Amino acid sequence: MSALLESVLDHINYLGAMALFVIGLHTVVTHSNLIKKIMGINIMGTAVFLFFVAIGNVTDGVPPIITGEDVIYINPLPSVLILTGIVVVVSITVYSLSLVVRIYETHGTVDQKEIARLNDEEAGL
Amino acid sequence: MFKRNKTVCDHPQLKQRSVIGRFTVVSTVLVLFSIAFVGLFIAGVHGDIGVFEWVREVAVLRAVYRFIYELRALPLLIIGLPFLGSVAMLWFGRNSCNGRDSIVIAMTSLTILLTVFTYPHALEGGFAYSIPGVFGLGLSFNVDMLGFTMLMVTSVIWFLVMVYAHEYMKKEFNCNRFFFFMGITYGAVLGTIVAGDLLTLFLFFEIMTFASYILVIHGQKEDSYHAGYSYIFMGIIGGFAILVAMLLLYFTVGDLAFDSAIAALSQHGSARYWIIGLLIFGFGIKAGMAPVHVWLPRAHPVAPTPASALLSGIMIKLGAYGILRIAVSYYFPPVGTDGGDALWLTSQTIGSAVIWIGIVTMAIGVFLALQQANIKRMLAYHSISQMGYIVMGIGVAMYLGHIGAMGYAGAIYHIINHALFKSLLFMVAGVVFYHTGESDMYKLGGLWRKLPLTATVCLIASLGIAGIPLFNGFISKTILHHGIVEAYQYGHPTFFYAELIFIVISAGTVASFIKLFYYVFLRKMPARYRRITPEYNNLDTAMAMMALIIVYIGLNPRFVLDTFIIPQFDTLAYSADFVQTYVVGLTFFTAADLWLMLGIVVFGFIIFIGGKRWHLFHLKLPYWMSVEYFVFYPMNWIIKNACRLMYGDECKYNDETITKLRLKDNKDIGFLDRFKIMATVFNTRFEKRIIRSDAFIYTVFVTGVLLMMLVMRLV
Amino acid sequence: MIAQLPIVSMVMLLGMALIIPLFKRRNFSVTTSLGFVVLLAVWVLTLLVLWHVRVEGPMTYRFGNYEAFLGIELYIDLFAVLFVFFILSLIMVIYVYSTGDATEGVAEKEYGRYYILLFILLFAMLGIIYTNDLFNTYVFMEILSITTVSIISIKRKKENYTASFRYVMLNEIGSLSYLFGVALLYMVTGYTNIGLVAESIGQHWTAYPANATTAIGFMVVGVGIKSAVFPFHVWLPDAHSTAPSSSSAILSAIVVKVYILIMIKVLFRVFGLSVLDVIPVSTLLIAVAATGMIMGSMFAMAQTDIKRMLGYSSVAQVGYIVMGIGLISVLGLQAALFHVVSHALMKAALFLSVGAIIYKKKIRKVSEFNGMGFEMPVAMVVFTIAALGMIGVPMTTGFISKLNLGLAALDGGQAVLVFVLIVSGFLNALYYLPIIINAFLKDNPSQIRVMRVEKIPKTMLGPLVVLGALIVYFGLFPGVLIRVLEAVAASLL
Repeated sequence: MSALLESVLDHINYLGAMALFVIGLHTVVTHSNLIKKIMGINIMGTAVFLFFVAIGNVTDGVPPIITGEDVIYINPLPSVLILTGIVVVVSITVYSLSLVVRIYETHGTVDQKEIARLNDEEAGL
Repeated sequence: MFKRNKTVCDHPQLKQRSVIGRFTVVSTVLVLFSIAFVGLFIAGVHGDIGVFEWVREVAVLRAVYRFIYELRALPLLIIGLPFLGSVAMLWFGRNSCNGRDSIVIAMTSLTILLTVFTYPHALEGGFAYSIPGVFGLGLSFNVDMLGFTMLMVTSVIWFLVMVYAHEYMKKEFNCNRFFFFMGITYGAVLGTIVAGDLLTLFLFFEIMTFASYILVIHGQKEDSYHAGYSYIFMGIIGGFAILVAMLLLYFTVGDLAFDSAIAALSQHGSARYWIIGLLIFGFGIKAGMAPVHVWLPRAHPVAPTPASALLSGIMIKLGAYGILRIAVSYYFPPVGTDGGDALWLTSQTIGSAVIWIGIVTMAIGVFLALQQANIKRMLAYHSISQMGYIVMGIGVAMYLGHIGAMGYAGAIYHIINHALFKSLLFMVAGVVFYHTGESDMYKLGGLWRKLPLTATVCLIASLGIAGIPLFNGFISKTILHHGIVEAYQYGHPTFFYAELIFIVISAGTVASFIKLFYYVFLRKMPARYRRITPEYNNLDTAMAMMALIIVYIGLNPRFVLDTFIIPQFDTLAYSADFVQTYVVGLTFFTAADLWLMLGIVVFGFIIFIGGKRWHLFHLKLPYWMSVEYFVFYPMNWIIKNACRLMYGDECKYNDETITKLRLKDNKDIGFLDRFKIMATVFNTRFEKRIIRSDAFIYTVFVTGVLLMMLVMRLV
Repeated sequence: MIAQLPIVSMVMLLGMALIIPLFKRRNFSVTTSLGFVVLLAVWVLTLLVLWHVRVEGPMTYRFGNYEAFLGIELYIDLFAVLFVFFILSLIMVIYVYSTGDATEGVAEKEYGRYYILLFILLFAMLGIIYTNDLFNTYVFMEILSITTVSIISIKRKKENYTASFRYVMLNEIGSLSYLFGVALLYMVTGYTNIGLVAESIGQHWTAYPANATTAIGFMVVGVGIKSAVFPFHVWLPDAHSTAPSSSSAILSAIVVKVYILIMIKVLFRVFGLSVLDVIPVSTLLIAVAATGMIMGSMFAMAQTDIKRMLGYSSVAQVGYIVMGIGLISVLGLQAALFHVVSHALMKAALFLSVGAIIYKKKIRKVSEFNGMGFEMPVAMVVFTIAALGMIGVPMTTGFISKLNLGLAALDGGQAVLVFVLIVSGFLNALYYLPIIINAFLKDNPSQIRVMRVEKIPKTMLGPLVVLGALIVYFGLFPGVLIRVLEAVAASLL
């Protein structure tokens, strides 16, 4: 039991990332509100970023700032990559939000079911 | 290009008033010249008369002869000529119909002349030409005796039908389009025949399917579209079947040239049966073979007569030609193989199946032909039935293996004969329609008074197809009968029943043509046809020439046999002794054959009289026996219950599209339309739902994939 | 020097995108002709690189000369250059067309923005193909999807917004899945450079089977969403049918294919045969592809909107390509790559010819195509050629694709796939042929019988004819292309 607990604690950042990923996906799947869907995507993104950054972590490592002392640095590369990733996801989020604004202007709602109903009515079904 | 408005020839006032038009005279001369040229050339090659000595005397003729003789690209030229001709025709046919038709007739007659020049090469064993690089594998052409025979039949009949079409098409719209696609189809047909490998054959076969589609729906009426759909889609299915077979063959053998491949195929288990099965299916669709003949009686009647004459006369033969070509090349052992060799086994197994397919095709064709009122539809069903004879002949040729030469000879002979008399019969139907505007035989009658020449040629053709002695059908039916008799003598005794069915069906054919001739040309003439004025024009030239050929073959059966068929055995694996004794030594008009024929004729009369008396010519199969019902009843059931299962009460029953699916209320909806409606129903139910559950699909799929992979890794 | 040409061409494309706003006040033809000059220059440069690579073999280019495990690397081999060259050529044709008809539904003041997006899109595609870095691929992928979605929503209509939104959501899920896969690989290997990852994976993956398996699953699914492999096609019909015609052509013919190229890179470059032989990804891909080939055509059959129909047809055709990839053999890969080219040509021709008809006649219902062959002969003839290609009629590239795919399937011992191929071809015939027949052989009852050929701009006509000719040319003489693609396929495996 304690071994299990220990392994869970060891991999807590990975498990946390997994959990966030599933939570995000769940949000996207179950909610019909478009804004909530975007939030879900963001949570998924965060999960992946967390996972990536967690890989770079080294136990007892310090940030890789060269001070001349003989210490273990953490791997800085994932953090650098994730910085780019965050920028990308932010831009996607902004774009989606602007689309939601447009959708609200044209359909008068941000609920997907409602939009589908409106579209069906328009198509005469 | 293809203008929708009327062309010049559609105006009746432009029709020439004189009894015999100039165009008719020129065409008649050209027809006589072409046939004479063919006859003289062939006689010259055989050295019967000293034509070639005379040619050698004249330097110019000799030079021309040597030039054409040594032209390696001759097969390509033969194929290319119609294509060029159709393009040229569009240009010359812009304003003048006679100009266009002159090009068409010149092009077809020139093709005959070029075709004859391949005869010496073909006798020597073949005339190969290839274009590497096209399609990655290259195209290759080869004119051997089988190819030459088909070429000769095709080019002569096509030429005569084109002469006929000049006059006939004056009453139709869109003539330029018609003749253009006629030319393309012609080129494709020739290409199919001279193809030296399966890929080339497939290429031209597909071109033929698509080009002839335009001919089928030329009338552009609702029923021509319906017929056209079954024609083109079945053609595509057939093409795909051939494609798959080709892939399998290429994969197992590594080569597509028409050589013996049975040694390589035998090592691959069931692949050889798949290949031949798919090829027989694919070519069989075009040939009008029994379970897949459904397009034929729909497409042939709606096409304009010249097109249906060629569809029935030539194009369905290409299906049989394809099967024969495959059978005697890939599935026969190399020349000189002994009769007891194990390599014959495959061919024998398949052959027995093909014989029965042929017999079934014959039976269905004749039975349904007897029920028809429309002349062209009846002729179309007879085409199916006669194709059954040919397929049966091919079956015998395969089944008896080493000694199957009789079946082979019969099949080829019947291909030639059927091409002649069926084209002629369609032309007769066309002339009747041309003058009366009617093609229901029960509404016609007494026309022999008004159209004596047509009645005569119709009689000749009917006697030909019925197999009466002194006409060509008798010869090939006799050979085929010998073939089927050999099949039970040398092979399995059950083929005795096949022979019985063969005889009954021949009697049915006789009855059917008695019926045709009686209803159309004898009886009392309805009053509205009294104003028909007979005149001599191109229609009659073509028909008379065709009838002459039929009679010539009937009186002189050895000509076709010696010139065309017997040389073919040089390149085939049949036993030379057998060919020498039975095929070369075949005697026609023996007492046994004549008595049998007399019996068949009497039986035919009995069927006709009985049928007329007890109204047996108006039977109809119940709807539940149709193909649609068989396929769609279970499908409808599944759709209905799946919907009920998934949505419960929400499932819409009375939607407009769904009511169309009901079988009983909508008998006239075709197979494909039904399929499309079904797809629409399916679509309206599921498409939107799938689209709405996008992320859900992702979740399910990813989970599924990961689980599957992990489980398979762990196990 | 020659190794710098790819990055130079990418910078040129990006630069072009950036300077378009400067010409806002000038005549718009200045922008389009300048754009064409840039495209032509890039095309010539790529041709140079192609020639060089063909003679000298592949080369690499490192940004700032960092070590491979740190920096970003471009790997310029025959595979990359060939497809860049092909994409550029096709884009040039579509570009010429779009100068005549970017207008369909796009407001006039948006023209400049449309071309900005087009050039960034092109830049991103070049980046994706050239780059030799998994993370870098992700970044380019996101640039590509954001430009794609902007091109869809540039037509300010209701359905465009909803279609774009669906596209963004699903594609973002796909990108994140891909990134998740990259993270898992990074965890195992410590690299993002494809060459290094492949090396390390080949040696160590048996120590981390769960990681490698999960990574391959996530990456294939992620890229699969973006390339509209069957169950993930849901975004495609809406997105492709609502976009302006020339961009529908780009999206269906090229953008989707670029993601497929990523899939090929991931499967064969990153994981390699040693992994693929053990992990059952081949079975999965083939199953998905076969279902897609049938279902895509089934859905297409019932569509009433022609562009939606073409969209569903793309779903089926992507199935063909994925099937070739899933066979995991040189033959299969070669057939898949050939179909990438062949489908790109055919689908571009279809969308552009339909676009010309929509441009001139303002109709997009399948049922309204009666008699169209007389009113728009050139467009309809090109449509016919391309549609016959889709069915797989000889003398078009589609036939050669079918032949190659069929042989590859037999070679892989999957004879059932040949059957699926044929059924799918037949279903294609079921929905394409009636359109052609109605267009050429049926009269349009609502029209007066006027035989006036509708004129469309020369810049639209030319590309159509070029595409039609290319389809027939490669259908007749595929030899050279097949040999080159065979070399490419062999180099990937």
